[in-house]
Amino acid sequence: MNFLIIMKRKNKKFQKKNSNSLSKLSLFHKGDSKFSKKCPLSVKDGPIVDYKNISLLKKYVTDNGKILSSKITSVSYGKQKKLTREIKKAKILGLL
Amino acid sequence: MAFYENTIVAKQDLAEKDLESLKNKYNELINNTHGKVIKIEEWGLLNLKNKIKKYNKGFYIHYKFEGNNKTLNEIEKKIKIDSTILRHLTVKYKKLDVKNEFFNNYEKKK
Repeated sequence: MNFLIIMKRKNKKFQKKNSNSLSKLSLFHKGDSKFSKKCPLSVKDGPIVDYKNISLLKKYVTDNGKILSSKITSVSYGKQKKLTREIKKAKILGLL
Repeated sequence: MAFYENTIVAKQDLAEKDLESLKNKYNELINNTHGKVIKIEEWGLLNLKNKIKKYNKGFYIHYKFEGNNKTLNEIEKKIKIDSTILRHLTVKYKKLDVKNEFFNNYEKKK
């Protein structure tokens, strides 16, 4: 029995490798696996996005004061909108 | 009636008496014009990220209050005339959270 299971596993591995190499053959073909990080702000009991919470806002701003795009930080669409608004409020007060 | 937050950035070279009077002035102003102050926070002297009117630091005072458009108009008028204030910001909220204080360090140092 054990031997059979190992054989099956080996077969599976072999098949997976094959499929991977095939998917890489064409540049324009998207792979089966997607790299998607989850949004760090829309977790349950997540941090409060507010213009007073500067330690949080500083993470999403470059040294020159530019707002980082959601492609880099993987923040969801709704939260990114809120972030930009709060950052701009903080900039008015001279906090950021 | 709705909830609002108002922050004032005052000049750094004010005496403590002036700061007290400034703090009380807007507190009374809100209370007299159909409003009600719920909480006042002093964030203390903070460094400004960029210079504002040649000042490097500012004294922050933060109000949480309930009011209507008359109170807002009155505050706007008075702040625009006031020469001791560098910047100000009012934000409308559906709910105020009184518990969280993000600028707590100043009071601890005292």
